[in-house]
Amino acid sequence: MKKVTVPEQSLGEKVVKHAAAIRVAMKESVYPLTATVFYPRERKKMPDNFRGYLMFDPDKCISCWECAFVCPANAIQMKEAPNKRYYPTVDYGKCIFCHFCVDSCSGGALKTTKIHDVAYKDMGEMLTLTEEMIEEPEIIREDKKLVEYEIDEQDLHLKRTREVDTLFVEVTPPVEIPMVSQCIEPGSCLGCRICEEMCESGAISSIIERQVIKMAIDRDKCTGCGLCVKECSMQILRLVRK
Amino acid sequence: MIDINTVITGLGIEGNQVSVPLIQQMLDLLPEIPMIKLLISFILWKPFFAALICPGFATLGILLLFFPWIERKLCGRIQWRVGPHEIVWWLGGIIQLLADSLRFLFQEVIVHKDAHRPYFLQFPFLTFIPALLPLLFIPAGNIVAIETPYAIQIILAVICLFPLFILGLGWASNSRFAFIGTVREAFMYFAYEVPFIIAVLGMIILYGTSDPVGIANKQSIWGIILNPVAALTFFIAAAMATSRMPFEIAEADQELAAGPHVEYSGIAFGLIYVLCYEKAYVLAGLMTILFLGGGSGPEIAGLGDLSGVIWFLLKTLIVLTTLFVLRTIYPRYRLDQGLSIGWGAMLSLSLIALALSIALAQVGVI
Repeated sequence: MKKVTVPEQSLGEKVVKHAAAIRVAMKESVYPLTATVFYPRERKKMPDNFRGYLMFDPDKCISCWECAFVCPANAIQMKEAPNKRYYPTVDYGKCIFCHFCVDSCSGGALKTTKIHDVAYKDMGEMLTLTEEMIEEPEIIREDKKLVEYEIDEQDLHLKRTREVDTLFVEVTPPVEIPMVSQCIEPGSCLGCRICEEMCESGAISSIIERQVIKMAIDRDKCTGCGLCVKECSMQILRLVRK
Repeated sequence: MIDINTVITGLGIEGNQVSVPLIQQMLDLLPEIPMIKLLISFILWKPFFAALICPGFATLGILLLFFPWIERKLCGRIQWRVGPHEIVWWLGGIIQLLADSLRFLFQEVIVHKDAHRPYFLQFPFLTFIPALLPLLFIPAGNIVAIETPYAIQIILAVICLFPLFILGLGWASNSRFAFIGTVREAFMYFAYEVPFIIAVLGMIILYGTSDPVGIANKQSIWGIILNPVAALTFFIAAAMATSRMPFEIAEADQELAAGPHVEYSGIAFGLIYVLCYEKAYVLAGLMTILFLGGGSGPEIAGLGDLSGVIWFLLKTLIVLTTLFVLRTIYPRYRLDQGLSIGWGAMLSLSLIALALSIALAQVGVI
């Protein structure tokens, strides 16, 4: 059996190590490094892609439901807006701030902010409606300084600058690959017209011709959201490049 | 009508005054006001000044307000933390203990069912006797309350009484954590006491006197340079005696939840909390006298006798700060390690120190 023992050290080594400890203590007591950010009065500098509070731009939203589908915590629910389109709402009681929704948003309608300190009075309030996500939330700013962590070869330093960070980042929208829905096997179409009902932009239309329903996709109106592709019962619709 | 001058002469406080040239002119004007001359003469009477102001009650009281703050702030800085901060944050939380003591004052003192009630409530106050008595014999410069050629021995004897009161605290608590802490305290007491006494004894042999003022005057070369082994032994013993970090065996916050005083709350806990700082102050004062030349130092112009007081306080604070810093760089020893250090390394060191002192005394260095 291997026994764990105290490492053998000579008296000289012990004295050297004690002296090193005392030297470190003296150095730190005179010129201490610190890792503390005095939060309400100072704010740590967050990166631009910080996963914080979500903002929403309805003009860019194509109502593809991708955010709601991808959300692992099931925090995003789509709600119908007065203009008959579906927009996301976020329940921050469930949200785990993984920001899959931001990554999956093809139009760049959901975007992140550097806000990480949000307070609610009750659980019901945590369900953030679409209207509340459009406008910037009200923030009481007490911070006068911006703190940046700098790690050199061995130590961590705090760099303090007298400036106020903007919490709302302008993210360049992702390069959009224009996609369009296309029927690859029109012969297998049942004519159930689910795709027509699903389509938010009214790109899919149906004509009854000799008691046979024929579907048509308007390539100009199609936003490439892929809802019809998901819902097609025969799975004959595909998203292709425009 | 009593003649004040007769009273002052009658009490024998005329010739034994703290002289401060800077404010002497102001003091000379004051006797115009009745009774003030008696009052001022009484306050500046050296024994009274020593007992009441420095190094006695007032200085201790003010320093006690700042010791925990100094310790916490310094340890915080060394460990990359901030320490006390939110109370008066622009001064770095300097009145933290004032706020804490206010809280202690208004908190309920819970005496639990199993405790031995009279002792449980008496001991926090009784413990002040060994903590405050040595201050009567410690001189700041040439100001001392009671002058006796056996002062060092008396200080030692009173300091050695201290753990008995801690044992009393733990015993009266009648709880298992307090009991374990008490027994550990008793073990450590025996471990440090013998080397501690031998180290001090060595210094008394070296100086050939045990009058603290005489010892301070004899140190043309500081004791720490003459006999560094004794200084090291004394310092480690002081760390053990005040339950500083490497030897915080009796209190052991993490395992015993404060050891002998686990059951105390409210102002009783507040009193015990400052006790170890008082003990540290007394031991640091003793170390200043024995090894750092007492109140000797360059004369500060215009301050007269107060110059020695300032040097004494400065040296004491440096010793205390060194004691406080130990907390940041050392983990805690186990009980058996602490005992083996006390009975092994430190006893040998103290004997070496004793031999060195005798040799130096024979050569006639002092």
